[in-house]
Amino acid sequence: MDCLVAGANFLLKAIRHEAFTHMEGHKEFVQIDHNDLFPYLLVNVGSGVSIIKVDGDGKFQRVSGTNVGGGTYWGLGRLLTKCSSFDELLELSQRGDNSTIDMLVGDIYGGMDYSKIGLSASTIASSFGKAISDKKELEDYRPEDISLSLLRMISYNIGQISYLNALRFGLKRIFFGGFFIRGHAYTMDTISFAVQFWSKGEAQAMFLRHEGFLGALGAFMSYQKHGLDDLMVHHLVERFPMGAPYTGGRIHGPPLGDLNEKISWMEKFVQRGTEITAPVPMAPPGTTGLGGFEVPSSRGATLRPDASALNIGVLHLVPTLEVFPLLANPKMYEPNTIDLSDHKELEYWFTVLSEHLPDLVDKAVASEGGTDDAKRRGDAFARAFSAHLARLMEEPAAYGKLGLANLLELREECLREFQFHDAYRSIKQRENEASLAVLPDLLLELDHMDEEARLLTLIEGVLAANIFDWGSRACVDLYHKGTIIEIYRMSRNKMQRPWRVDDFDLFKERMLGSDGKKPKPHKRALLFVDNSGADVVLGMLPLARELLRRGTEVVLVANSLPALNDVTAMELPDIVAEAAKHCDILRRAAEAGGLLVDAMTNTVDGSEGNSSSVPLMVVENGCGSPCIDLRQVSSELAAAAKCADLVILEGMGRSLHTNFNALFKSEALKLAMVKNQRLAEKLIQGKIYDCVCRYEPAPAS
Amino acid sequence: MDHLAHVSNLRSSQSQTQISHLALDIGGSLIKLVYFCRYDDSCRDDGDELRSQNDSLCSKSDNNQPVLEGRLHFAKFETSKINDCLDFLRSMKLCLGGSHDGTAPPSDKIFIKATGGGAYKFADLFKEKLGVSLDKEDEMECLVTGANFLLKAVHQEAFTYLDGQKEFVQIDPNDLYPYLLVNIGSGVSMIKVDGDGKFERVSGTSLGGGTFWGLGRLLTKCKNFDELLELSHQGNNRIVDMLVGDIYGGTDYAKIGLSSTTIASSFGKAISDSKELEDYQPEDVSRSLLRMISNNIGQISYLNALRFGLKRIFFAGFFIRGHAYTMDTISVAVNFWSKGEAKAMFLRHEGFLGALGAFMSYEKQCLDGLMVHKMQQKFPISASSAGDNIYCSLSSNSDENGSIECTVYGT
Repeated sequence: MDCLVAGANFLLKAIRHEAFTHMEGHKEFVQIDHNDLFPYLLVNVGSGVSIIKVDGDGKFQRVSGTNVGGGTYWGLGRLLTKCSSFDELLELSQRGDNSTIDMLVGDIYGGMDYSKIGLSASTIASSFGKAISDKKELEDYRPEDISLSLLRMISYNIGQISYLNALRFGLKRIFFGGFFIRGHAYTMDTISFAVQFWSKGEAQAMFLRHEGFLGALGAFMSYQKHGLDDLMVHHLVERFPMGAPYTGGRIHGPPLGDLNEKISWMEKFVQRGTEITAPVPMAPPGTTGLGGFEVPSSRGATLRPDASALNIGVLHLVPTLEVFPLLANPKMYEPNTIDLSDHKELEYWFTVLSEHLPDLVDKAVASEGGTDDAKRRGDAFARAFSAHLARLMEEPAAYGKLGLANLLELREECLREFQFHDAYRSIKQRENEASLAVLPDLLLELDHMDEEARLLTLIEGVLAANIFDWGSRACVDLYHKGTIIEIYRMSRNKMQRPWRVDDFDLFKERMLGSDGKKPKPHKRALLFVDNSGADVVLGMLPLARELLRRGTEVVLVANSLPALNDVTAMELPDIVAEAAKHCDILRRAAEAGGLLVDAMTNTVDGSEGNSSSVPLMVVENGCGSPCIDLRQVSSELAAAAKCADLVILEGMGRSLHTNFNALFKSEALKLAMVKNQRLAEKLIQGKIYDCVCRYEPAPAS
Repeated sequence: MDHLAHVSNLRSSQSQTQISHLALDIGGSLIKLVYFCRYDDSCRDDGDELRSQNDSLCSKSDNNQPVLEGRLHFAKFETSKINDCLDFLRSMKLCLGGSHDGTAPPSDKIFIKATGGGAYKFADLFKEKLGVSLDKEDEMECLVTGANFLLKAVHQEAFTYLDGQKEFVQIDPNDLYPYLLVNIGSGVSMIKVDGDGKFERVSGTSLGGGTFWGLGRLLTKCKNFDELLELSHQGNNRIVDMLVGDIYGGTDYAKIGLSSTTIASSFGKAISDSKELEDYQPEDVSRSLLRMISNNIGQISYLNALRFGLKRIFFAGFFIRGHAYTMDTISVAVNFWSKGEAKAMFLRHEGFLGALGAFMSYEKQCLDGLMVHKMQQKFPISASSAGDNIYCSLSSNSDENGSIECTVYGT
């Protein structure tokens, strides 16, 4: 019992979207504020049923229970149907019709409702009440009908007793767990219906994704009482690696351990074709996950699921992750701007990602030298990711609540799983080189402008350079038509203010002041950069330089792991070093920020006084996705953010797909070019290649 | 129970009496009848003899109404054998109720009060076979009316049953409300009763008598309800149920207040691969089933009583039928969950609440010009012993023919 409660408390606190409601086949994830979790009622449906009132960590009381539980269902079911397994019995119930065996209100009332007391004709008056008929024996009833009747009887009873107990203690939340539920939609529906029916809609049944593991998880927690109890939700990252083949609700074959097994298994997929609907994550500890990123594997919690309608990922414990300290309201924060629970939206992105897949596979294979091994892995990746997508189309809630950010991240994770560490490596390099070559000219051009024109040109430059995005279909087409510089020039020339979202004047006033009054420069700016090549070199670096020139410390925030052609924190120092060769401002700042350790350039003009520049720094953001969930950022970034007063988010992934509506404690500037027609329409009522320049002053404190 | 024997018995023993005023409760499994038989032709005006016969004070009715003296009889049939019931009614000429006093309405306007779902379902059948119309009364209302009548008017109607000890409870009619009435028929209705005609169905469950019988039939091949009940006497539910001791290795799981013999999971042992249905004794299966359902009803009832702050819970309905083990289990469940604070109570005429309520409803409409008057409060009726049948006998099913001596005013 201690274990159950500890497990449930852990899951509800530590895993996002752990709890969900289930009504009429529809799942909805519920975000529980873990400061407002207690008290709640925990109903564990095992062989019997325990009903536990939980008031806090380690504070709970078994208030009730019932002996009519999962064991009753399986025990009676076995005797009545000759099923040989619990799952088979459950399976049967899905094709059953309980009206052949239950006595319904309509049977007693000759097909009429007993509306006076709110009972409809289809309400079960007496479970198995029709089986009293003399004419039929056990053999005359379909096992399917018996199973369904049993299931409804027991689920309904559990729901009712649970609700009555919740009522008794004034508890609003009832969580149901235990093996009886097993993600079985009909069980959950019946329990939900019972709770809703008896509470007249005032109470809701909630379920846990990891419902079968409460006890085991709690037991696991109990033998390392050191620190895991105060785990916070942002320390855990859930991944869904490809594991074992999963068809028709069953796992076929052993869990797949190493990469080779996975690849050859994915190859076999071809024969089975469309049968394959879903991967079930079964990765043993230590594989996949965050790949090169440091994971303290000794403390990693790995959960292995059974066949389940809901997939359960591998939980990666990353104690270094923290909540971004500049979020104005972390509790209300929702990273995803677009919710994929709208099926049309999901379908659209499904198509986008599917169409983009062959190109991505080409890139990935090329990045590994185009060897046969790489080709095999490429094919395996393509199948695995397609299977993920197919699974999602069939059951959108399969991986928990899904936002676009999660979907894009899933793809990156999937690439890493098949050991494509950086599919765009060579492309990124080529583009960086090309962009760096034209950077001196651009800086010269900028330096000839007055302050106002320069600021506008800089922002235009950021927006224009943001066109270089391998994540966008439209842009991939562009790449085939011209060189980087041509595209950049064309793009910048097209910049026509006002942009679709245009707060530039506000930003300009903040930067340059009005009526000759000079405002105080920012103390520190965090620049969340996006793509490699022109985007970072010709767009963000010149902007960083401008801020540095004004005495603002600049922190470039980049991905920890590769995602598409996004620049990573590993690559940035080299780019900065290369750029610094042509620019004194950048050089001194980079030195001050410790980016140029050998400081060869120091001796060129030997001016000691100049070395007291404000620093330019690079930190990793803790993630490997084109988007960013600011609830889980690296501790480095969190530390760097402490004295920052300006946040600049650049690119679609970080400023539109996610965080478009995020509010910060500091000033925020969100810059992006919209390279997707649908997103443009949906988000800014605009069209493709429209630009967003959104400036939000710091909230008055 | 042998219905034919029952019917013939009625016929022989009561052929000399006039039978009038019948009400029916047609449920999902059983048809319950309540009918009134007069003693001889005793339609009196003076009431002297009545007084002497009843051992109770009887004042002459205020407005010189004729008084009918007789007995209320109770009978039941399986709903699936409704033709037996129709035959019985035809043979007894019960349907001609009211004709004896010469004020019979034309035969096409004969009404019988009826309640239960079957009053709707079988209305046409009654019309066709017997030429009578069923005057439908609301099921819940009848239940409550019947219960209120019994609890107020019949001495020693309610009793508790725990550890084999039956104890009659004297209910003060002025301190009866509110109470929870749990009627266990095919399904279970839980009704909060606040007064005459003031009630609300607050809950219910589909695990009721029909479930016991239905599942029991499928699992044991028993031919009827009583046989199944009988079997449960000899059973041992430990064979089939998973007990707390089975899980925790025989030691009490005292920490959470469960003893090792507490059932952790009904039928939980039946998941064993090595045994099939045929390997289990029907007695054990029946016992386990009975405990499961009784326990569950007791628990849900208590939770509902708690919810509305009701101290008294009365259990009635045909599932109980005076069966000691059933009552014991329900009592234990209520006792267990309330930690001794609530007690389950039972009614001697448990199965006939609805039918009795329907019978009482004649009063409201004065259909036959008869009044089953409020006299019940003035004339408490002692526990009946019609013939040799004592209704409250607990261990046998000879209680079918129990009747209540009563007096009815005619106009």
